[in-house]
Amino acid sequence: MKQTKGKIGIREYVAIIGLTIGSKLSDDTPSILYSTARNSAWISLLLMTLLSIIPILLLLKVMSAHKGKNLHEVNLHLFGKVLGNLFSLVLLAIGFSFVVVDSERYVDIIGTMYFSRTPLIAIYVVLFIVCAYGAKRGIEHIGSTAWLAYFYIKVTLLVALGITFIQGIPELIFPLWGPGIGEIVKTAGSNLSIFADIFFLALIAPLVGTFKEYKRGTLIGFGIGAVEITVSLVLFVMLFDFTSIEVLKYPFHETIRYISIGFLTNVESIFLPFWLVAAFIRFSVYLYLVVVLFGGIFKIKDFEYLVPLMAVLIVALGNASTISVYRIPQLRELLLTWLSPIFFLSPCFMWLAAKLRGDFRNGTSTKNH
Amino acid sequence: MFNFLNKIARSKKKIKPVESRNTLEEQSSWKEQTISWLIDENIDLMKKIYRIPDNRDVKVREIKLGGKGRKAAVFFISSITDVRTIEDSALRPLLLNKDPDAGIEEIIYTQNVTAVTQIQEVVENVNRGNAVIFLEGKPAAYAFECANFQGRSVESAETEVLIKGPKEAFTEKAIVNLSLLRKRIKNEALVAETVTIGKRSKNDVFILYIRNLADNQLVENIKGRLNNLNADAIQNLSLLEQYIEERKFSLFPSVLLSERPDRAASFIEDGHIVLIMDNSPDSLILPATFWSFFHTPEDHYLRFFFGNFIRVLRMIAMFITIFISAIYIAVTTYHAEMIPADLLLAIAGTREKVPFPVLIEILLMEIAFELIREAGLRVPNPMGPTIGIVGALILGQAAVEANIISPIVIIVVALSGLSSFTISDISLNFALRIIRFMFIFSAGLFGIYGMTTLFTLGMYYFVSLKSFGVPFLAPMSPHYVSSKDTIFRKLLTQESLRPGYLKPVDINKKGNGAVK
Repeated sequence: MKQTKGKIGIREYVAIIGLTIGSKLSDDTPSILYSTARNSAWISLLLMTLLSIIPILLLLKVMSAHKGKNLHEVNLHLFGKVLGNLFSLVLLAIGFSFVVVDSERYVDIIGTMYFSRTPLIAIYVVLFIVCAYGAKRGIEHIGSTAWLAYFYIKVTLLVALGITFIQGIPELIFPLWGPGIGEIVKTAGSNLSIFADIFFLALIAPLVGTFKEYKRGTLIGFGIGAVEITVSLVLFVMLFDFTSIEVLKYPFHETIRYISIGFLTNVESIFLPFWLVAAFIRFSVYLYLVVVLFGGIFKIKDFEYLVPLMAVLIVALGNASTISVYRIPQLRELLLTWLSPIFFLSPCFMWLAAKLRGDFRNGTSTKNH
Repeated sequence: MFNFLNKIARSKKKIKPVESRNTLEEQSSWKEQTISWLIDENIDLMKKIYRIPDNRDVKVREIKLGGKGRKAAVFFISSITDVRTIEDSALRPLLLNKDPDAGIEEIIYTQNVTAVTQIQEVVENVNRGNAVIFLEGKPAAYAFECANFQGRSVESAETEVLIKGPKEAFTEKAIVNLSLLRKRIKNEALVAETVTIGKRSKNDVFILYIRNLADNQLVENIKGRLNNLNADAIQNLSLLEQYIEERKFSLFPSVLLSERPDRAASFIEDGHIVLIMDNSPDSLILPATFWSFFHTPEDHYLRFFFGNFIRVLRMIAMFITIFISAIYIAVTTYHAEMIPADLLLAIAGTREKVPFPVLIEILLMEIAFELIREAGLRVPNPMGPTIGIVGALILGQAAVEANIISPIVIIVVALSGLSSFTISDISLNFALRIIRFMFIFSAGLFGIYGMTTLFTLGMYYFVSLKSFGVPFLAPMSPHYVSSKDTIFRKLLTQESLRPGYLKPVDINKKGNGAVK
């Protein structure tokens, strides 16, 4: 009954996972999957889901032995001061790059699909004003907002997907194996990091009410997220067929442009606000996680004061990358590929280290696992 | 000429003696004395304090008691006392008394007599409408209750109007209000403590809560806040609200003001704390959540479906109030493609001759509406219909005919204005009206992107609000055990829990299904 200050409940936690992983169906993640796995992208996503269960369960196992510690503290504990910090630093670098690259994608979506005459930098700055404000308020309030918005965001998504299903042609998902099992497995392997958010979210593990809630929340959120993305990957193919879906940059936004509801022929602006709220919450969470990790590594206690600085840095880098010679889509794909083994292997190493150190032997871990 | 005027001015100054000596310090030095053995000293001091006979309604009646002929004096302020009570219960028995050694308690008839020994206490009693008797040879004074402050009688509620349910409302007399509440909660555990605030005016605040139900920490917190106030006078609850509220610059209120005793009673029964005060025809309910501002008592007086129906209506109305003007701006300027072609042509047709951008058009009309509303509120009653004519005819019809405003804008603004009236709580109403303007500007700047930005910012802010430690959106998020009385309500028989965010001592308020 009593809510401890600064903590979030299971509802809020599931909503956070749902909005960070779930909204990946609406950026260019599907198009990355479609580019190699073609119309069987959804099968490769199922494969990813199955593969991801291993690191997630190992992570939960490790975290269960270190209740009250966040990912960084667990790293320090397991790998010692030097290696632990180094490992966290690598995570920070990757996480930070992801925020930059992902946010640039979102700004690109808003800029190209909806506000083609607005300068991108303005969109970027506004996006990060909101995210910085949210991150500064703390995870408790991000969580509450996520939970309050979650239902409505998912209902509108369901409506959009439902209409897509009605207007799509089910036969288009065939041939079922698309480019062949080899390609599907390759795609799954190199994009495993779609679910890496869960690994980073272990940074807020001690802020979730109880460990039981954290564990259940992680699994529920993971399950819902996986189902959402799989279903939408199927539906996008049903609507566009595999040849055209490969050239679409943002299938979700093309979908909501394509479908119509009764007399309303252009409904994308109805779905836009909900998608935007999800985006704001998603980047608030990312920003918060980056700052927590940064504060942990460099031992900054009042890490929330880093939020504005970090936000400015992200906007600057993200905006610079739009005019640089490197192209973000490739960069993002590259990052996804790099992160995949890290996401898969780090929990394994952590578990191994914990096992060797004998962390699981004390009674606390057996009770909850 | 100038000299002459100057002289007049100066002479006036001389005529009016400035009461320079009557400072707070001096007053308190008089009042700090104890009551003397000599009755004449006491009478003189009281006369000095009350400036008798300059002060016309402060009365002193000096009498000789029968028997030994002891001297006695009765002090009271005639404008705030029931003079009949004094005459019948005190003066008559005193004059008719024949026993020379009888004490005051044995002579007078009133329901209670308290002996006081400090001049301070005497003054307080007299100021509160009680009468005080001094007796020769006694270093004490005797106070008895006979207060009778003037005020209106109990009338029906004016701002929180209901169709079904009790009609009476609080009045400006705290005692009457207390009686209205005690009528509803006949429970000895209902405590009505008082705290005196206002150093000069001595305003009493009643703190009402149910002992062994309300959270003790909360009660202590509120008492502490009230005791810490340092102001000469805080006249009523509307002012007190601004002294004790938490975020003084926030758009959202953190305490609920209600003029309905039934509403206050149901909040007390849930474990809230209610403040009432003289001179306030309402009660201050705390802590308050967003839902308490959003609900009306009628939601529960009406049957399940009807109650939820008006809640849905109110929710829709709230969204229309905040968003419709902004959506119109966003859609017509940034997202024209989403309007069906026929409607788009209709809108374009009406806007053809209008020289302003949509943002300006909407702003003009919204401000006009706010003006009509404010003027309608302040206008003296006999002139009321004028406002209607001016508002409807000139601002509406004529503005359209003069091609200043397009007719669709009138519809949009009228809808948003009309919807804003469904929120009966005045604080929330103001908050929504101001937020509406913020959304209009954000829509003008960035279309739906701007609106969503503001909405998300607002949500982050909204969920971080707290009223006396209770999150503003509780029990929705963060989640608490409760009867889930938020947007919808459950069946009355199933609302068996008190809200958990109040940390009530006893969380169950009904049996399962409200049967034994």
